[in-house]
Amino acid sequence: MKMIETLKKLCLLDGISGDEGEVREYIISQIKDYAQVTVDPLGNVIAFCKGKSAKNKVLVSAHIDEVGMIVTYINTDGTLMCDCVGGVDPAVVYAKRVTVGRKNVRGVIASTAVHNISKSERGKAVGFDKLTVDIGCQSREEAEKLASLGDSIRFVSQFTEFGDGFVKCKAIDDRAGCAIMIQLIKDKPEYDTYFTFVVQEEIGLRGATAASYTVDPDYAFVLEATTAADIPSSSGSKRVCELGKGAVVSFMDRHTIYDKEMYDLAFELARENDIPCQTKTAVAGGNDAGAIHISRGGVRTTAVSLPCRYLHSPSCVINSRDMQSAYSLTKLLLDRTYNR
Amino acid sequence: MELMKVLSELCGARGVSGNETQACKKAEEYLSGYAKVSHDAFGNVYGVVGEKDDARQTLMLEAHIDEIGYIVTYITDDGFLKISGCGGIDERALAAQQVTVLGKKEIQGVITSVPPHLSSGESGFTVDDVFVDIGMTGEQAREIVSLGDRVLVENDLELMQGHCVTSKALDDRSGVAAILLALDKLKGRQTKYNICVLFASQEETGERGAKTGAYKLEPDIAVAVDVSFAKTHFESEEKCGIMGGGVMIGIAPSLSRELSQEFINTAKNSGIAWQTEVMNGKTGTDADNIGVSRGGVKTVTLSIPLRYMHTPTEVIDLRDVEATASLIAEFAMAGE
Repeated sequence: MKMIETLKKLCLLDGISGDEGEVREYIISQIKDYAQVTVDPLGNVIAFCKGKSAKNKVLVSAHIDEVGMIVTYINTDGTLMCDCVGGVDPAVVYAKRVTVGRKNVRGVIASTAVHNISKSERGKAVGFDKLTVDIGCQSREEAEKLASLGDSIRFVSQFTEFGDGFVKCKAIDDRAGCAIMIQLIKDKPEYDTYFTFVVQEEIGLRGATAASYTVDPDYAFVLEATTAADIPSSSGSKRVCELGKGAVVSFMDRHTIYDKEMYDLAFELARENDIPCQTKTAVAGGNDAGAIHISRGGVRTTAVSLPCRYLHSPSCVINSRDMQSAYSLTKLLLDRTYNR
Repeated sequence: MELMKVLSELCGARGVSGNETQACKKAEEYLSGYAKVSHDAFGNVYGVVGEKDDARQTLMLEAHIDEIGYIVTYITDDGFLKISGCGGIDERALAAQQVTVLGKKEIQGVITSVPPHLSSGESGFTVDDVFVDIGMTGEQAREIVSLGDRVLVENDLELMQGHCVTSKALDDRSGVAAILLALDKLKGRQTKYNICVLFASQEETGERGAKTGAYKLEPDIAVAVDVSFAKTHFESEEKCGIMGGGVMIGIAPSLSRELSQEFINTAKNSGIAWQTEVMNGKTGTDADNIGVSRGGVKTVTLSIPLRYMHTPTEVIDLRDVEATASLIAEFAMAGE
């Protein structure tokens, strides 16, 4: 299966932070013939690919959770109140379809009709305190049969390929990283390699904290989707990184100052092999590297990311060519790291 | 008539104001089962039921066929589209929507948004702050997209809990469906009136199709079927109808009080679920233009309660569409 097809399968599965089971099961089904797989107490998938013995213990990691919402209250009129899980701007959930809970109940997120809001409310996003999930129930009793407090609320989003190699779906952050890792595993790494598919990144890098302790690596590579703002309303450094310009290797974000030698090596390898590669022009965001690089006595960590527009929305957009670049660059980096 | 199927196909058809062709075709297809159909260049669909009897008055059943959407106003050098509202859009519903751009061919795109990692916390925006990302260069975009092309969010009809459905364009395809269902109920029955049908274009941009359409059909009395606000969690009870509470019969200075009362009586006598919708002047529906067509037309509004108006996630209760259709049919047959 091509990476893009794996990505499609992964994106259409639901797995908001703390409720990643569906995604975990699928990943295990894909890699179990290629790796020794264990699941830790938090739900992280730790896969070990046996190869030749290497000087360094190398870890590759991506997170399996996605942002979403959670049911916090059931109103007497049968609508549900919700709050975000992970960093979700309420502006991107307004007037969207969602799926609620284990019974996969269809809902829509909405508020007061635009005709009935005051002048001061116009042009402003509606906060979670003024949003409800409508599942078509007329009373709390009716709603309680279908939804419970704590139920996960997931975006409904089609996987759509459009334009010049672009792909749109929910959860590309970080199923794209997962899809690359599955491919790396299936390609059978030459040397011993650990792969962790970790939970709860979106609520504070929690899965990676535990998994990196367990693996205890010397070097780590985090595969991620990172925020790109290459849209006409932002210019210069505010664009951060751009789609179609290759894998993103950052020098610093809000959680991590990356290993300088590895950062330089990434660009050197990209240049030597004609792989498009760029860095982020803003110190923004963060990823599991923040937890991994300070695990135990410290881990030399690199993040290889895909530039992704509209991150944490139901319509994340990447370019499939960048995915190929990230895959190729990661492979080269691994080869140069095992026996550094 | 299978209401779910008809409504689903009507809602699925595209008909952003001024470009209603696909929706018109679909409506015409169903209307032709009950009436002699025609359409005009303005985008209106007409239907005449049976033979005209000059001894009877002519009753026009009207709903608008157009829907809210966007229109392309500019293409940037890097291939993004600027859009404007086509009708009274809800700007809060723009961010991160997947849209279809109806260019020389159909293409998919995404309305831009700024992720929380980069926003300053103020997440307000208007249609002027967003673009449609179609994943193309300026050159590629200009080959396919032209200024004036329509853009819309395509949410197909889906069944929710109870009797609720959600879709784009329930405003006012549910009105179109109610009229079709009424005609289905009237099939083979004697009616008190000559019956004609108008599915009007461009309601959302200023009730224009109804103006030309009512002139052409020249009715004596008219029923404008549209949607109105249904109570939901963050709506006030006094401004809204009750979802599933039945057809909303309009009472307003601009409507015929006599006709409103006749509809109320008909609903009472035939046990059809109904509620009133009181407006204090004009109605904001096609009834406003129909009422003053030619030498004046006695007009009433029938509204289907709807939640989240002008978003791609509108919700209605199918029972209210049924009640609307039943009331129209009962009214047309009264005195049979």
